[in-house]
Amino acid sequence: MANTAFSRALEDFERQLARTPPVSTGFVEYRFSHLLKKPLRSSGTLEYGADGVLTRNVASPYREVTEVTGDQVRITRAGKPTRTFSLERAPQLRVLLGSFRALLDGHLTPLTKDFEVQLTEQAPRWTLTLKPRDARLAKQLARIAVFGAGERPQCLEALEPDGDGALTLLEGAPLEPAKLPARAEVEKACRSSGAPLVQ
Amino acid sequence: MTRRGWILLGAWILLLTLGVLWVQSNLHVSADLRLFMPAPRTEQQRLLIQNIGESPASRLLVLAVEGDAPAQLAAISNRFAASLAQRAEFGLVANGGQPPPVIPERLLPYRYLITDSFDAQPLDESRLQAELAEREADMASPAAGFLEEWLPRDPTLEILHLASRWQPRAEPQHTDGAWFSADAKRALLLVETRAAAFDPDGQGKALDILREEFARARGSSPAALTVSGTGYFSSFIRDRTQQEATWIGTADTIGMILLVWFAYRRLMFTLLGALPLATGALAGLAVVSALFDSVHGITLAFGFTLIGVAQDYPMHLFSHLEAHEPPLRTAQRVWPPLATGLASTSIAYLAFLVSGVTGLAQVACLTITGLLAAGLTTRYLLPRVVPLMSYDPSKSRRLQWLNHRIEQLPRPFALFALIPLAAAAVFWLRPEGFWQNNLSKLTPVPPDMLRTDVELRHELATPDLRYLLVASGASEDAVLGTLEGMDAELTRTVKDGAIGSFEHAAQYLPSAALQRKRQAALPDAAHLRDMVNRAVAQSPFEDGLFAPFVADLDRARTLPPMTRADLGDTPLALRLGSELFERDGRWYALISLYDVHEPGTVAALASRHAGQVTFLDLKAASEELVAAQRSHILLCLEIAGVLLVLVIVVALRRVSRVLRVLAPMILTTLVILAVLRACDVSLNLFHLVSLVLAAGLGLDYALFFEHAAPEPGEQQRTLHALLVCSATTLWVFALLALSTVPILQAIGVTVSLGVISNFVLALLLTRERARRD
Repeated sequence: MANTAFSRALEDFERQLARTPPVSTGFVEYRFSHLLKKPLRSSGTLEYGADGVLTRNVASPYREVTEVTGDQVRITRAGKPTRTFSLERAPQLRVLLGSFRALLDGHLTPLTKDFEVQLTEQAPRWTLTLKPRDARLAKQLARIAVFGAGERPQCLEALEPDGDGALTLLEGAPLEPAKLPARAEVEKACRSSGAPLVQ
Repeated sequence: MTRRGWILLGAWILLLTLGVLWVQSNLHVSADLRLFMPAPRTEQQRLLIQNIGESPASRLLVLAVEGDAPAQLAAISNRFAASLAQRAEFGLVANGGQPPPVIPERLLPYRYLITDSFDAQPLDESRLQAELAEREADMASPAAGFLEEWLPRDPTLEILHLASRWQPRAEPQHTDGAWFSADAKRALLLVETRAAAFDPDGQGKALDILREEFARARGSSPAALTVSGTGYFSSFIRDRTQQEATWIGTADTIGMILLVWFAYRRLMFTLLGALPLATGALAGLAVVSALFDSVHGITLAFGFTLIGVAQDYPMHLFSHLEAHEPPLRTAQRVWPPLATGLASTSIAYLAFLVSGVTGLAQVACLTITGLLAAGLTTRYLLPRVVPLMSYDPSKSRRLQWLNHRIEQLPRPFALFALIPLAAAAVFWLRPEGFWQNNLSKLTPVPPDMLRTDVELRHELATPDLRYLLVASGASEDAVLGTLEGMDAELTRTVKDGAIGSFEHAAQYLPSAALQRKRQAALPDAAHLRDMVNRAVAQSPFEDGLFAPFVADLDRARTLPPMTRADLGDTPLALRLGSELFERDGRWYALISLYDVHEPGTVAALASRHAGQVTFLDLKAASEELVAAQRSHILLCLEIAGVLLVLVIVVALRRVSRVLRVLAPMILTTLVILAVLRACDVSLNLFHLVSLVLAAGLGLDYALFFEHAAPEPGEQQRTLHALLVCSATTLWVFALLALSTVPILQAIGVTVSLGVISNFVLALLLTRERARRD
């Protein structure tokens, strides 16, 4: 592990991050994909309720509510019938959503089961890197990097092996541009909210 | 015994041994219900008789592994499932660790012929635009990374749609890749046996393999396996019946040896006494297996019960043997009553031969042959091998005393009126539940096993065991068409809550007509390219991204419709095999139902498709069939009764003699019926057959008491013979009455009652008072 001087045990860090649900945060997400002509930008809120329900509420550019209760996922889009499915059928997605939940309430230890977790600190900023252990998941997800300061995660960067990826800026992140920025700009803004990324 | 006697005995035993060998290689026991059922009168009965109602649901075994930590249980479950999947005895094996059904690459273009997505709204430009807008939203969701791989080829997500349509069941929760119960204590598995549910041998073998593979998968873990399901129950009940029958058989044999030794004081008589019955049984079996291709198991059970009368034949000879008289002469003396009984019962059973039901004809054939062989060997063969009798019952002091006491008993002729009156009173007071139609009452499963079964089935969401829809038609395609015609109505019953869900073959193999219709609705090559280009231009997706989609649609437009053969060895083909099949030139499809809340609604749905679709209530259909079968047997018995009385009248000629001979048998039948009714026992077929056996015994007792000359020595010998006969019979059937297996108990109770009642009534009403010398 690089930056060992600043690294601490994950449990210690967990205490720093721990929050009692309900937890709610606004987000802006940029998706970069080779299937798309230009990046997709969406915004809304992420909530983790006291009842254990994870809600991803998209407000723009369209309305969509995704609720994750245990292994059940409910997706409601404006003007469409509600879709429900079980994460049993999508184990990779379950792992990914599990990481969201962990970040919101700060319980990081369970993540070590599915990810190789690495913490880099440059007080008060930090970066958490998650590399999937499951080979099937690794085909679709190279890593997730979480950038934050103090007790708050501020940006998530999901990177796929083919170079595609998504950047999720959480509330308090420095950038909220009016027009669609280039990927490099968003990346720079995202990464600047944490400690330097160890590649 | 003479040298000639010994040689003859040796030859007899040798012949019997050869007979056993011949029967072993020529007897085909069958479980085909058609052998034993009258012609079906309703479509439901016909389906039941043809075993078409034997749905895959009845062949499902539900398994639970418990007693260890969840991670260990999951690992055992996965190893167990993997090894079971290798065994030919099982079709489907599922524990939650299997990937959802995958469409093989070569079949992927067929998805546009299989899917129902574009039936209501065709795949046109506006539809494609709407789909792409949805995909755009999907691309902004956490699932984007997983969709990207398939999106260029499948922008409408048909593969996902089909996979979810093919798995309508609610799955149990997963832990470490295996299904678990809601309380997370039991790992759950589901296996489908290839053997039919009511094939106890096949099920027994499958269970052995389950236990063997489980022991291997478990390793050193303390985990235990619970198996449940219809097939498991049938095997469990057979094992229990066999266990009880074995100990009862052993006790029977020991008791018989002791009783016969006590009666004649020579072990030799025990052996000799068994020979006529053995000869009768073998002769019966030989004739039946020579005349019929296969013999039903019930034929054997009923036939062997009925030829039990022949066990008495040698006792009559033995008890009448006298030191100064050649045995052949004794045989001649006891022959008239024996022959009368033999002839009348044999002629009576002829009624079964013409019943038109193969199984009953087999019973008649087996019984008549068996009785004749046993009677004739007792008359002509047994006397030639019997040793000298050292014991003379007519000299026995105890017997003399007993005979004297019986002599002093009153002759209560009032019983002729009292018994029918008492019986009538009982029938009048307890009119309900005379007959038992519920087959499951005959083979009851312990309540705790049933409870476990309900629990596990609920957790695993297995199809309903009782209700089923069956579609039929002249061809595979016609049946598929019928299924498709019902789809909308079935979906409505799900929406209305009448059923939880349903599953049928047309969901993965649509009819050729529907496939062609869908093909015709697909956009043509030029139009397709146009509309894709326009839709993509308005979307955030890259130009030219959907070339693989266009290629698949081009293929789909020219493909010949998919057939069963195309499914090859996919898991879908396996399912298709048990849900769509041909039987006797007609095609059948089963529609499995889940969580049937309102059977009436489903029945009404089926009646709207009368002639093509039948609603099968397996419980009701089997009860109707049992009732129909019983009325058939009752009719045969009535004809048999008339024939029997006719033969007795011809043989005995005088009305007073006929009355005295028939009285015990008729009154005993009433006594048994009244006692069973008073104890609230509902009659089943096994009671009925036992009543016939009891009547046969009663007739013989009465014939011998009637035939005995009113002279003390002769009466004492007859009394001795009948005491031995009734004691041995009572011993055998009283033990059966103690059984916990309802079938054995029914036979045991009925015949035991019959023996006692017949013996007492024959003594009191039939026997003449001795002449005072």
